[in-house]
Amino acid sequence: MVSYKIWILIVALIAALLFISPWGFLEKGVVITSLEKNSSEYNAGLTSGTIIKEINSVKINNVQDYNQFITSLFGNSSLLIQEQRITITTSSDTLVFLTNKPLTMTVSEIPNSKLKTGLDLSGGARALIKPFNITLTDSELSDLIAITSERFNVYGLKDITIKPVKDLQGINYMLIEIAGATPSDLESLISNQGKFEGKIGNQTVFIGGKDIAHVERSGQQAGIEGCYANNEGGEYCKFRFAITLTEEAAKKHAEVTGKLSISTENPAYLSEKLDLYVDDALTDSLFISKDLKGRITTQIAVSGSGVGADRQAAFEEAEANMKKLQTILITGSLPYKLEIVKLDTISPSLGKEFTKNLVKLAIIAFVLISVVLFIRYRKIKITSAVVLTMFSEAFITLGIAALINWNLDAPSIAGIIAGMGTGVNDQIVIIDESISSQAVSLRERVKRAFFIIIGAFFTIIAAMLPLFWAGAGMLKGFALTTIITVLTGILITRPAFAEMLKSIQKD
Amino acid sequence: MENIPEHAHTHKNWFDKNYKLLMILPIIVLVLSLFYLGFFYSKTGEFILRDVSLSGGTTITLQAEKFNINIDNLESQLKQEYGDINFRKLADLRTGEVLALIIESSTTPENLKSSIEKSTNIILTDENSSIEFTGSSLSSNFYKQLIFALVLSFILMAIVIFIMFRSFIPSIAVIFAAFADITITLAIIDFLGIKISAAGIAAFLMLIGYSVDTDILLTSRAIRNKEGFVNQRIFRAFKTGILMTITALLAVLPAFFLVTGLPDSFRQIFLILAIGLFADIFNTWLTNVGIIKWYCVRKNIE
Repeated sequence: MVSYKIWILIVALIAALLFISPWGFLEKGVVITSLEKNSSEYNAGLTSGTIIKEINSVKINNVQDYNQFITSLFGNSSLLIQEQRITITTSSDTLVFLTNKPLTMTVSEIPNSKLKTGLDLSGGARALIKPFNITLTDSELSDLIAITSERFNVYGLKDITIKPVKDLQGINYMLIEIAGATPSDLESLISNQGKFEGKIGNQTVFIGGKDIAHVERSGQQAGIEGCYANNEGGEYCKFRFAITLTEEAAKKHAEVTGKLSISTENPAYLSEKLDLYVDDALTDSLFISKDLKGRITTQIAVSGSGVGADRQAAFEEAEANMKKLQTILITGSLPYKLEIVKLDTISPSLGKEFTKNLVKLAIIAFVLISVVLFIRYRKIKITSAVVLTMFSEAFITLGIAALINWNLDAPSIAGIIAGMGTGVNDQIVIIDESISSQAVSLRERVKRAFFIIIGAFFTIIAAMLPLFWAGAGMLKGFALTTIITVLTGILITRPAFAEMLKSIQKD
Repeated sequence: MENIPEHAHTHKNWFDKNYKLLMILPIIVLVLSLFYLGFFYSKTGEFILRDVSLSGGTTITLQAEKFNINIDNLESQLKQEYGDINFRKLADLRTGEVLALIIESSTTPENLKSSIEKSTNIILTDENSSIEFTGSSLSSNFYKQLIFALVLSFILMAIVIFIMFRSFIPSIAVIFAAFADITITLAIIDFLGIKISAAGIAAFLMLIGYSVDTDILLTSRAIRNKEGFVNQRIFRAFKTGILMTITALLAVLPAFFLVTGLPDSFRQIFLILAIGLFADIFNTWLTNVGIIKWYCVRKNIE
């Protein structure tokens, strides 16, 4: 009869297989990675993580199919005259909606399994941020995270996770992680406080966020006005967009302009200009038409520019600057001046190479250990039992990592391999105890083996525990996977291995 | 039953006569390591050579295949510009082909990036390079915390050992072996001029957990078990323990001899474990064995 300990191992392996689900390659379609809130597809009921199989009865097998189809439907225009009827078949449902805007959701290939690799292996960017010179409380940090998330959202950056982390000294940080390619303006987007002020003379008329009711972002009221050659042989492009002030800010504007006189040099305008500041730096000065003197006006045009070596570059720069300005006007400024204390941008292609080599290394270690064990014990059954146990430990740990959505980075994988190493050690102890002198009962010998194993287990847990907090948890993965692997060992694979050995010895 | 010569426990054998002498060897190595660390400290003001992740600065990793350039030129140009530049090549072991260039300096990412771009005439993007930056305040914070974690982890391990064996000398012997492992490993790492990263310090923590395995095995077999003679039990523990260490080394060594192109953090973890495991062979099977044998003789454990 097979012992319950073996059954536990089998159940754990099956569960791990289900958690990892390594059959993504069998499934056809694309998975939604992000959607904009209030977009037509969001309102139709699509959510991120949904798998799309067909759109308007056309099979979508991969991202290329999706992009081709979307281009054929919308072309390059940003707005269609006629609304399109779109039928999306997901893996469980069919949704129908009408839209005249191109879909804003982003999709990617269905991943092969539910295992996720960390930034250092899959590429992407990571930033650790804290306010300059002060320590945040937990609630202040969550406010900061809320504002930053909104800023990313408004700016249109997707696939971003922002979370609080705390280090051993109790300092709170905001951790921002972006998978895949790194947006070029990430740094300015997170570190700029984004304090926007409109001043006439030295009087503040309005500030970003609270005094602004609406910001035009596309259409006729927002865009690039024109591009011109500059003195240095390059080009610059001007952008302009309209903003609507709140009633209160508009009154203040009227009050201030009411006191101004008409300019003597420029009789069409008032004597003072409207100066726009971003983070206390003057970005633009606008003439105020004399008609506006003392009038309550809510519509104001904000302008700015971008420079570049050629027209294309200047145009792109101006567009990016406009988008950044619009973002901070909408989201308002951050309550603190921020400092990026750590910023890593990892190339996805380097990461791919790393992952390949890690897998290679794991396989080589497996083979070498098996060979040495075979040389020592000269028994194919014992060697296979050890190899099977080693594999089970790694596999169950990966299953748990998939279950808790853990991103496996290089230290995490080192942790699994090191954990497997202690596993092999334990098995050697069990084998040597069980083949040792027959003067003591098998039960006693197994008990002795487990004394050593449990001692080793607690020392490794004790050694790894402090890493959960030290260094803002940046090395948590290493500690976590090591602990999961040794825990799997002690609870599941070690007892099963002892059973396997018992039945091998009976033969 | 193991094949232990009959005379092993009938009259005094070589081990019985010489175990105290054998103990001395690793102790000499430990003392030399402590002296070296002291010398190192007086020279640099630190026990550990910190890399930029622990001292603040920028690491840029270039994917070599996308930089068809004269590497030596780039190195000398950067060295002229920045005094503290650390330039490493990650090469394939068999073909010798350079896979990646790792460039470290305490400067800002903007500075280092533009210097590299100027020298190579290639714009750095996330397609051809990775850039990692750690601010100096954060890194010194991290460093302090990781050292604290290392001390804490050592204390926790010691507590576990005391609870397990509940007698002073054997517990101290195990803890001493772990201390010697760490000290010798650190001295070797410093001697080789290797800069330690945050992941490297984590590896030292792991070493604490890893190295005591064999010591626990030895102590438990020699003192807690009763059948056979002490020397037999020690010899059996040695046979088991040495296989444990060999398999552990087999798991980490391929990272240096067979597989290249591994993440730096990963290689450093494995390098520290490998050196530590080697040191552990001597500290366990010469020093710890000596102390245990001595203890058994004194306590009349046969």
